[in-house]
Amino acid sequence: MSTSKIETNRDTSPPVGERPRVTSGMRKRAALTFGRAMLFLAPSLILFITFVFVPLVRTISLSTYLTDPIGRPAKFVAFLQYERLFSTPAFVNSMTRSIQFVLYTVPTLIILALALAALGNLRMRGISIFRIIFSITIAVSGATASLMFLYLYHPSIGAINYFISLLGFPTVPWLISDKTALIAVAITSVWLQLGLNTVILIAAMQGIPEELYESAMIDGAGSWHRFRHITLPMLSSTIFFLVVVDMLASFQTFTPIDILTNGGPLDSTNLLVFSIYREFYFNGKYGLAAAQSVMLFLIMLVLTIFQFTVVERRVFYE
Amino acid sequence: MRKSLFSIMALLVVASMLLAACAPAATEAPAAPAATEAAPAAPAATEAAPAAPAATEAAPAAPAAATNTVPPAPPANPTATIAPPKSESVTKIAFWHSMAGDIGGKAIPQMANDFNASQDTCYVEPIYQGSYDDSLNKLKAGLQSNDTPAVMQLFDIATRLMVDLDVVTPVQNYIDAESYDVSDLEPNVLAYYTVDGKQYSMPFNTSTPLLYYNKDMFEAAGLDPENPPRTFAEFEEAAAALTQKDGDKTTVYGAAFAIYGWFFEQFLAVSGGQYVDNSNGREGHATKATFNDAKGVAILEWWKRMYDAGIMANYGRTTVDTRNAFLAGQTAMFIDSTAVLRGMIEGSAGKFEVGTAFLPRPDEAAYENYGTIIGGGSLWMISNRPQEEQDCAWEFIKFQAAPANQAYWHTMSGYFPIRKAAYDEQLDKDWVAKYPQFATAVDQLHGTKINPETRGALIGVFPTARQTIETAIEEVLAGVSTPQEALDKAAEAVTLAIEEYNITMGLQ
Repeated sequence: MSTSKIETNRDTSPPVGERPRVTSGMRKRAALTFGRAMLFLAPSLILFITFVFVPLVRTISLSTYLTDPIGRPAKFVAFLQYERLFSTPAFVNSMTRSIQFVLYTVPTLIILALALAALGNLRMRGISIFRIIFSITIAVSGATASLMFLYLYHPSIGAINYFISLLGFPTVPWLISDKTALIAVAITSVWLQLGLNTVILIAAMQGIPEELYESAMIDGAGSWHRFRHITLPMLSSTIFFLVVVDMLASFQTFTPIDILTNGGPLDSTNLLVFSIYREFYFNGKYGLAAAQSVMLFLIMLVLTIFQFTVVERRVFYE
Repeated sequence: MRKSLFSIMALLVVASMLLAACAPAATEAPAAPAATEAAPAAPAATEAAPAAPAATEAAPAAPAAATNTVPPAPPANPTATIAPPKSESVTKIAFWHSMAGDIGGKAIPQMANDFNASQDTCYVEPIYQGSYDDSLNKLKAGLQSNDTPAVMQLFDIATRLMVDLDVVTPVQNYIDAESYDVSDLEPNVLAYYTVDGKQYSMPFNTSTPLLYYNKDMFEAAGLDPENPPRTFAEFEEAAAALTQKDGDKTTVYGAAFAIYGWFFEQFLAVSGGQYVDNSNGREGHATKATFNDAKGVAILEWWKRMYDAGIMANYGRTTVDTRNAFLAGQTAMFIDSTAVLRGMIEGSAGKFEVGTAFLPRPDEAAYENYGTIIGGGSLWMISNRPQEEQDCAWEFIKFQAAPANQAYWHTMSGYFPIRKAAYDEQLDKDWVAKYPQFATAVDQLHGTKINPETRGALIGVFPTARQTIETAIEEVLAGVSTPQEALDKAAEAVTLAIEEYNITMGLQ
């Protein structure tokens, strides 16, 4: 696909390690090439600068101000917002809750998606129906799913508690107790993202060459061994991709929280992104929200760098 | 090769997500609000299905299902919508509102339509802008791009902020200019919306909290259904008597309060407590929170005591969940706005009889001296609109406040009429006959003495304060902190927010 593009890019870049003698003609040509390249890049550059870099820089500058309730910078306070972040338990709570949430969702997602993908990859009649069922959550918007779960979790008329009580267990105060609310939100979030994860894994599984399985079967490997020693390693790059994407998505969970719990009870579901939203949207503290955004950005940056430098080495690519 | 391709793609995805993470802080068009768009109105919509109309104080979803017995005021068949005029001589104005459900979808357009039909110089277009918070945020953004409505409906607690932002034309200017008679308006309502001696906005939808109770359960428990509890102590006794247990399992809770900051404000007002200093912010800007005094603490101690005794249920912050529990017969008493009265009566029809009473108070003496604060919303005129638009806005506001329209609005929504003359309208008489429980609300309103406590606090950071109080209540119920500790912490946070507000608004 975009391979050719990369090749051409390489061609235009000067060969590494030698310093060519610069003539005016060459300089002119280089300038021309550069201009042409910029011309091609312009649409994406303009978009990136207006919608990404400018807001990013503004966010950083905003985080050094106290703002009025409309969001206009009112008083320069340097790093006061950051000091406040770390001196108040609220932000630390948001951080630990976010990490907790990632730990709840990401491994669950990957394991469930692997199981569903393994099932969806079976060879049987009507398997496509199951694949559709497994992946149907892609078609459901976050808001819709959250509303469904809001109803399911309802303390007095919710279906989940109804079935629990039918089985004779005590009912669970899903969204009301600070001990269960985060789990309830995590379940919703896992349900929402499961479809996409499953589809990607099914697609990756179908890309594994059949010969590998055939030769393993000749060697007498059972289905678990085939899964453990062929499927999993062959999927490692996909799983790595999913872990990265799921982790970032899960760090940024917003919709289910907004609809199910509003960050409560006791701030137990006040994850970072929701906390940012609440600070600027309800409390009009744009500066504090900006400081939190910068922190979130840094955290994600570190996480991503870690994943691509340390974890990626252990991943097998074809 | 595939490896580098993959890394590039993955990096792109990651980079876009990283950057998206920073978006919410940017002032313009953040990603987050878009996602919520559906949220505030939606829960009400779904909840309405199983158990009757759902109305939250913030976004009442209308006592739906128009009844056949009470004819809607102006023509029973809604008049055909009048098309926007093409002529240049007609001034078009926008009216932003936050009324969801039937009252937003039917009553508001109907009233706008009637206004448009009543004269030919102004044309008003009502636009639903989501919850009050959403609407307020759209206004904040609009103020910077000059994209504002001529008339804006906002919740009561935005009053201080709107005045301080200096973006409104006080209705007092027009009242003075035309000697418009406000003597018929409810004095408590006027008292709330009067700031520094000026009436800034015209009240539109007003409500107060009531105690709702299940009369059948009162009888079954041997309590007098015509004599509901009046004081905190009586309430506690009644709740204990009403609680039903099946072995270890509680089948009916005596009472349930949603964790809603507005209820705490109301309990504080009927206790004679002040939310903030400077006479509740009515004499100069507030500088610190004062709700953590003995009166405030007593409220949470009472609440917590009943919760620990297992006679008070907790269905969380969402008020509709508590209402549904009441309709499902899982709790015998609860408190909520007058705006949900019709929904409760219709939702319980054929199941049990609903009674209404005054909001319980710490003692009988409190009935003499204090009362509830009015809640709801009012109509504001935004000052950056051209003069002719503002003139039209005033005409529209006057129209909305007229007795006939207030009667129509009252019967459609369950909010109070803002003026006494509305009760003389036939439509309103029929309504009161059908819902006699509403008389309690009117009596409670008229029985309230006007003082700084009952005028309600004026602070610019009310949404923050409410949310902080709600967290404090949760902490108390969960046993994380004592009422005193929780309120002290909340007061500290609210004071900080007020201080910051005063600094950034240049008030200090």
